[in-house]
Amino acid sequence: MRITAGTVYALDIPFVEAFRHSAHARRACDSVILRVVDENGFVGFGEGAPRPYVTGETPQSVVEHLVTELWPRLVAADLPDPVAEGLAALDEVIPETALRGVIAPNAARCALELALVDCGLRSRGTSLGALVPPRRQSISYSGVISAAEPELAARRARQMKLIGLEDVKVKVGIGQDLERVRAVREAVGPEVSLRLDANGAWNLDEALAFADAVVVFGIAALEQPLPRHAVGDLSVLRKASGIPLVADESLVTLEDAERLLDADAVDVFNVRISKCGGVHRSTRIACLADEAGVAVQLGSQVGETAVLSSAGRHVAAWTPRLSCAEGSYGALLLAEDVSVDPVHFGHRGRAPLLMGPGLGTEVVEERLRRYAGQVVELGARR
Amino acid sequence: MGELRGLVEAAFIEHVDEFTTCARFRRLESGEASSKDYERFVANLVRTHSRSPQLVAFLYSIAPPDAAEDFLHNLLEELGVEEESGEAHPAMLQDLAAAAGLSPVLPVLDRLAAEDLRDIVSAPLMYGTLKEIGLAALCEIVAFEFMLSRCASRIERALAVHQGLPPDALRWFRHHSEVDIAHAEQGLQHIDTYVRYYGLTQDEGRGIVELTLRENVFVTRYLDQASPLPPGCPKQ
Repeated sequence: MRITAGTVYALDIPFVEAFRHSAHARRACDSVILRVVDENGFVGFGEGAPRPYVTGETPQSVVEHLVTELWPRLVAADLPDPVAEGLAALDEVIPETALRGVIAPNAARCALELALVDCGLRSRGTSLGALVPPRRQSISYSGVISAAEPELAARRARQMKLIGLEDVKVKVGIGQDLERVRAVREAVGPEVSLRLDANGAWNLDEALAFADAVVVFGIAALEQPLPRHAVGDLSVLRKASGIPLVADESLVTLEDAERLLDADAVDVFNVRISKCGGVHRSTRIACLADEAGVAVQLGSQVGETAVLSSAGRHVAAWTPRLSCAEGSYGALLLAEDVSVDPVHFGHRGRAPLLMGPGLGTEVVEERLRRYAGQVVELGARR
Repeated sequence: MGELRGLVEAAFIEHVDEFTTCARFRRLESGEASSKDYERFVANLVRTHSRSPQLVAFLYSIAPPDAAEDFLHNLLEELGVEEESGEAHPAMLQDLAAAAGLSPVLPVLDRLAAEDLRDIVSAPLMYGTLKEIGLAALCEIVAFEFMLSRCASRIERALAVHQGLPPDALRWFRHHSEVDIAHAEQGLQHIDTYVRYYGLTQDEGRGIVELTLRENVFVTRYLDQASPLPPGCPKQ
């Protein structure tokens, strides 16, 4: 496979309603989409969703990294065919790069990997499901309630119950947390599984106190209660709290996964494809988790488009020990998604497998252009 | 059920207020908007409403018996067959588009309207039964009736004064103008009737209404959409 041309779109798609948590407030999708074209005219799309508070990347750094570092080293090169040689072979030829102040430039890497995989699979008329074979025939997605006034959180919770969601995550760590959790639990009743996500807002003492206080609300899991590097404290908290812990910001690289497993720090890995650097690296982390008996939550980037959601659907279908899946909000959150057919979930959070070639979604390029704050055309040689 | 009606009406009023006080609408009304802005507004409006008969027909198919006659009347009115001199509303919208210089893109607008409808039909269903989906559809259609009953003549005036569109081309707005306030009131009553007939609880009705109205559909459809315009096409 040889890539001959590409286009980078830095998107700005408004949300239907704002989303916020302890680390950030978000009102628009600022994903970076990479479109690649191979020597035979086949096209592939990839997406990276940079999060400064997760990997340290910004939309601008992803665009620059793709344009100046990654693209020149891959364009016109003889790349492995993902169908014949597998995702690992493709991963090996994508350069290992570093950026000052960035844990790992994984959003940029993800955009590139997904675009190459999508293009390579489409050129063979093959679905990503052939490379990550599904273990299940549909996915059940959970809802997320962003940090808000308890009354508003309860209203959102009632709406989620109305559309049949069986699993809901509530953002905590910004004050009024207990009131919000209580309000949501009362709104959804005892049958809905409730998880909490603090986005690293607390220290060990605060997390211990909170875990004690919320245990009465029947919490299924507590995600990233402590900052990224507090792996030892996570282990202490896990043993003391009795609430299963999920690693998110602490889990960006394969090395992070090994460190967490060595410390016996968490019960669940939140694997997010953009955060973890693409499908191949996400599946490697999931395999490590599986071998260690750790469950996997297939997470998402809030505001991701149909491109990342489609990749997420495939990986969620493949993932061993899947505890829950997030994402596929599509036009439920975005003013407009970029795919021909909606990829968002339906009643009860259910969504079918995607069977089409590549990632399984058809992108409307006109929408990319319309919502792009920046477009960079990439040629054969720079 | 009065509580739900109050909630719906309050939400409609809030959305209409947000729509009519936003800078883009005010520029259209005051004449400060560019010709392109007016053309885009008309294109978006035509795209939004050109498949209304299909949506009203859907509502008629699931109408509670007490409201079925009104729904049928609305459908026949949309199709222009409720009286001898009637005219189909999509035809009025085509004339509006032509007068606004949009004839070259009318086929594209029609295709986009068809795609919008296809999207509605193709999207995964968020609710467990048709009764919830029907309430969401009813709520959105009545929202537009409510807004137009309060704003249609303001929009008509703006297009006549600032774009010189002739009265005949603006007749769609007169069909939805202030004289139709009774029609919009009837729509609010139909929401109550619908909720009661299908046995939706107050909480369910409230939740569906809140989900349906969480975005301002007037701003989204009339102002945010980027329906195509002909390049430099003069008005007819």
